[in-house]
Amino acid sequence: MSRFFATGTDSESESSSEEEQVQRQPAAAFTFSDDEEETKRVVRSTKEKRYEELTNLIKQIRNHKKIKDMSSMLSSFEDLTRAYQKALPVIAKEESGVTPRFYVRILAELDDFINEVWEDKDGRKNMNKNNSKSLGSMRQKLRKYIKDFEKELTTFREAPDGDDEDEAEEEDVDSDDSDAKPVKKTVPKLEQEKAAKKPTAGDDGDESDDSMDWGSDSDTSSSEDEEDIYTNIRDRFLKKPEKEEEETKREKKERRDRVKKREEEDDGGVWETVRGGVAIPSEKPKMFAKDAEIDVNLVVRKLSEIMAARGKKRTDRREQIELLHELQNISELHNLGPAINFKIRLAIIAAIFDYTPKVSDAMKPEYWTKLLDRIPDAMDVLLANPDMQVAEEILEEHEQFDQEPYQIRGCVLTVVERLDEEFVKLLKECDPHSNEYVQRLKDEIKVTQIIDKVQTYIEHQNKPAEICRIYLRKIEHLYYKLDGTVLEKREGRMPADTVTSVDVMERLCKYVYAKDNTDRLRTRAILCHIYHHALHDNWFEARDLVLMSHLQETIQHSDPSTQILYNRTMAHLGLCAFRHANIKDSHSCLVDLMMTGKVKELLAQGLLPQRQHERSKEQEKIEKQRQMPFHMHINQELLECVYLVSAMLIEIPYMAAHEFDARRRMISKTFYQQLRSSERQSLLGPPESMREHVVAASKAMRNGNWNACFTFIINDKMNAKVWDLFSQADKVRTMLKRLIQEESLRTYLFTYSNVYDSISMEKLSQMFELDKPVVHSVISKMIINEELMASLDDPTQSVVMHRSEPSRLQSIALQLVDKVNNLVDSNERIFEMKQGNFFVRGGGGGGQGNFRERQNYNRQGQDWGRQRRDRENRDRENRAY
Amino acid sequence: MAKFDLTHKLGQYLDRHLVFPLLEFLSAKQIYDETELLQGKLDILSKTNMLDYAIDIRKQLHPNAEVPEDLKIKRAQVVAELTELQNEVELVYKLMQNEEVMQTMETMRDPKVLLSHLTKEYDFKIDMMDNLVKFAKYRYECGNYSVSTSYLYFYMLIMPPTDKNYLNVLWGKLASEILVQNWDTALDDLNKLREFIDSNAFANPLQVLQQRTWLIHWSLFVFFNHAKGRDHIIEMFLYRPNYLNAIQTMCPHILRYLATAVVINRSRRNALNALKDLVKVIQQESYTYRDPITEFLEHLYVNFDFDGARQKLNECQEVLYNDFFLIACLDEFVENARLMIFETFCRIHQCITIGMLAEKLNMNPEEAECWIVNLIRNARLDAKIDSKMGHVVMGAQPASPYQVLLERVDTLSVRSEALQNLIERKVKAKSQDVSFSHVHFDFNLIMPVLTEPMEQ
Repeated sequence: MSRFFATGTDSESESSSEEEQVQRQPAAAFTFSDDEEETKRVVRSTKEKRYEELTNLIKQIRNHKKIKDMSSMLSSFEDLTRAYQKALPVIAKEESGVTPRFYVRILAELDDFINEVWEDKDGRKNMNKNNSKSLGSMRQKLRKYIKDFEKELTTFREAPDGDDEDEAEEEDVDSDDSDAKPVKKTVPKLEQEKAAKKPTAGDDGDESDDSMDWGSDSDTSSSEDEEDIYTNIRDRFLKKPEKEEEETKREKKERRDRVKKREEEDDGGVWETVRGGVAIPSEKPKMFAKDAEIDVNLVVRKLSEIMAARGKKRTDRREQIELLHELQNISELHNLGPAINFKIRLAIIAAIFDYTPKVSDAMKPEYWTKLLDRIPDAMDVLLANPDMQVAEEILEEHEQFDQEPYQIRGCVLTVVERLDEEFVKLLKECDPHSNEYVQRLKDEIKVTQIIDKVQTYIEHQNKPAEICRIYLRKIEHLYYKLDGTVLEKREGRMPADTVTSVDVMERLCKYVYAKDNTDRLRTRAILCHIYHHALHDNWFEARDLVLMSHLQETIQHSDPSTQILYNRTMAHLGLCAFRHANIKDSHSCLVDLMMTGKVKELLAQGLLPQRQHERSKEQEKIEKQRQMPFHMHINQELLECVYLVSAMLIEIPYMAAHEFDARRRMISKTFYQQLRSSERQSLLGPPESMREHVVAASKAMRNGNWNACFTFIINDKMNAKVWDLFSQADKVRTMLKRLIQEESLRTYLFTYSNVYDSISMEKLSQMFELDKPVVHSVISKMIINEELMASLDDPTQSVVMHRSEPSRLQSIALQLVDKVNNLVDSNERIFEMKQGNFFVRGGGGGGQGNFRERQNYNRQGQDWGRQRRDRENRDRENRAY
Repeated sequence: MAKFDLTHKLGQYLDRHLVFPLLEFLSAKQIYDETELLQGKLDILSKTNMLDYAIDIRKQLHPNAEVPEDLKIKRAQVVAELTELQNEVELVYKLMQNEEVMQTMETMRDPKVLLSHLTKEYDFKIDMMDNLVKFAKYRYECGNYSVSTSYLYFYMLIMPPTDKNYLNVLWGKLASEILVQNWDTALDDLNKLREFIDSNAFANPLQVLQQRTWLIHWSLFVFFNHAKGRDHIIEMFLYRPNYLNAIQTMCPHILRYLATAVVINRSRRNALNALKDLVKVIQQESYTYRDPITEFLEHLYVNFDFDGARQKLNECQEVLYNDFFLIACLDEFVENARLMIFETFCRIHQCITIGMLAEKLNMNPEEAECWIVNLIRNARLDAKIDSKMGHVVMGAQPASPYQVLLERVDTLSVRSEALQNLIERKVKAKSQDVSFSHVHFDFNLIMPVLTEPMEQ
């Protein structure tokens, strides 16, 4: 795993690694590559590798010893014995079965040390529990283990050798390392070369030093090693002395430059700008040995060499990018074919991605623009060569660069996905109200173009799973955007065959529905599809999709970002329903969002300050990652206003109808709160905020004063605040007017029916400025539904009220009956709960039914009173048939 | 009137042979151009083996043209193939001719026993069944429906439902029964087929959906011709969620037939509930399908727009008159629709002028008065006619609070009683349980005693 995936790289370790980079000799790793060295590595292999392992562990143990960290020591010791076990065959072969001296020494040391610690009773007491436990087990294990080496140990103890010497040597090496600091500019060239060599050879330099002292035959080899280097260098000097000198000078200078720059970097100076032109050419020449014939294999090897350093702590990521660029230039120069070219480009892209160390941070803008240039280039190469195959499944060994069909390991899809994520991160970094945000947002065109390119490639490859993924990327860039042509097409201003975003969505989503087999992609695609339909006022399609998907039942089990998408979708569905005058649906879509009072959080449009407990840093980070970028936000005031208005249109007539009802229940809690808080105020000024407007309108409606209600809801202030945000604001306003008139009429009739004996419909239609058929229809509906005790008188065109006003006694009796009914209900429910449903099926069905209904009421989608329908195979399995 | 014609939509889900009656009907109504219709028929026929019929139509279409040679050749081929197939099923044919065999077959319920019996007695082989099905299919293709019916009947007696051909045979049987207009057996077959489909024999839900859609369409033939069909259609389309789903997703145009069935079935027990459910469905689907019949219901029960309903009723008459399935119930529909309007009207109004009512019901005033008088006489309406003013005065009065109170209390006692019964039963069950556990317990005590001597 590259470090990029590791979540919690805290800044501390980061800074330390940066420091290391400064200390290190830059560019050393790859500058001197020659074949000789490589062959040497191969020779070194088995024995030295094992020995290296052992010595490393020994070093670790010594370190632990110094700080008396028993538990770590124990584990290191176990590792050591294991490593030794592994090394045994080598030892048997190379040293004819004699245990290496250094190994015996460490055992002896350990033995002494453990005994010493064990004797030191006070010290043992002071140890923490973990350590003392480890000490015990360590002691036992060591004793057991040492038994096998008794002979060697005794011989060793008889003639213990240069422990101190060794120590000193090590220190020497250390100081050598520190000498290599670039700050020290006067170091002679040779030594610098040597120092530069050190990191390349890794630890084996140290190791060889060590082994020299131990006097085994590795001694000679290592000295040979040393000599080799010298000869090498000498060769170089001999070959091109003048040039070399020049180079040395230049290198020195450059190094100085770089040090300066590094210092600048540490100071936080703008070093990038200085760098640009100077550094790249100066580093050019050392990629390959001069006389090497550059062919595909060589380049590939070089590339893998560079890539091997990827993700390691000490690699300079910037340098990697440059090296790769260099490599690309070389390969292009030698015309090595598109495959290798593409492979290098992929590597560059990956390196640029790697440049930003932390996942949570956005990348630097200059690298971002670089990415935006690189990726399309790479994709162009890919698209220009249709028989090039890029896939994750291709193993490194099976890659083919030199002949068609090319086979390359890699994945463009992940590149794009990563790019997209970076884009969102970048956007979130910007201040949404600044010009910078707009500038950044312009990049979206490029991002979508890249996605399109990748899409054509992947479609060409024809792998359904990948096509689904890239489609979803595309969908997620599409779904929240309003396409004006859709509306124009609907009104017939555009030809019917224009391809609108709705059509595109339809095509993409249907593909995902059919081909996807991970549930997540499909869920997201459905949600985006619904969102898009809702945005474009395709109310029926959106509603059917919601009902068919059954998402409202399962959404709480999905991941947070999908839940957020669900919330956003529901919000837009609510708005869409509102525009279509489906007030009830609108209300039920929005009620879940608004009831909590945490709309902001639910829509991921900002963090709420929390009252009870502070968020931990970790949590805040996670939540910040989930936030939506600003341009995708849904206007909250609009949302709240739509919710409150629809609540008003439902609640006020209901309140009027059930004024004396014992079993009245609240439809919207939030709305009630608003009403109550305004009632509590002793002095009411003219409404200012949106909420105050709605409250004032509700009060007007309660009195049946539709005109006042209307002017409170729709006026200049509210237009500016809310209604103008709709794309077809005028339509919404006329719709609202009609609804307010109708609901006011209903409220009026409910409230004042007991005052009238009869009332002419003519008069009503004048009062509410409604057409007579509408009044007739509204009243008829109320009569049929037995909400209004009245009937129409046809000859006189009037409503005749049936006075059935209950007397006080009767109304109290009715209330009593209601309460007793409740009691019976609850009894039945209790019985059911205790009982399970064994016999209840037939009897008491009424109670059961009621209970279910009530449960269902709060669930969205179900109270829409609709037989669910399954258009396709979705969820069909769930059915009982 | 072509606007509301559904033949092209229905045709997608019907068998070729089933489309013929529809086309015949259309040509009788002369909504479409005759030659076009004939051409359509010819196209359909081209894939069947009913060549004589095809030749007839060709003559009608091009009276002067000679019958093309290839048709004649094809005819000869068909006949030859038919005889060949006939030979292959000779044995079965003989069996079927044999009265005795048929009787034993019908009495024997178990197909396995029957099969072994046949193999033993008459040298019957199970392999013949494939040929039998092929032959029946061929016969069907030739338009010889009654023959294929009897063969398929034979097949279904013998073969278990797990046979690979079973579903096809069921469909074939249904189609042939419909085409020979054997409605009783067709209804049986329909139910069999429905059970088969619902028993989930297919893995793929899409396939099930498709099968259901087909079944819905084919069943129209049965439902609108069988005497009891109207009950069944409501039961199947409206109250089986699977079929309602299928209608809503695949073929909302079926709502016309469902709506008509509900309207003409007003006297049924649950008519009111059915109506309510139907109106809900219609409202939901109003954006994908609407025609005068669904609009009529919408006007009447959603908007209470009586004028609109009246207009739609006029249109409905035409639609019904031009619909193959519905033409038979035209009068019934109009009568019931009127009643529905009137009833709703009465529920809302307390006083109605007869003139207005007559206008709304598409009647002249005298007729309307007569009609109302009849209604009152039959005690379906609590109303009185004020003939001087020309008014109908409703007698119904709203329930007094006292009555409301009584009603509510009434249900209370019933429910309490039910609850009490339940509890009693529960207690009884519990006490039984307790005694059982006692016995069990004692038994446990005894066990060691029993085992001890044995160990010794």
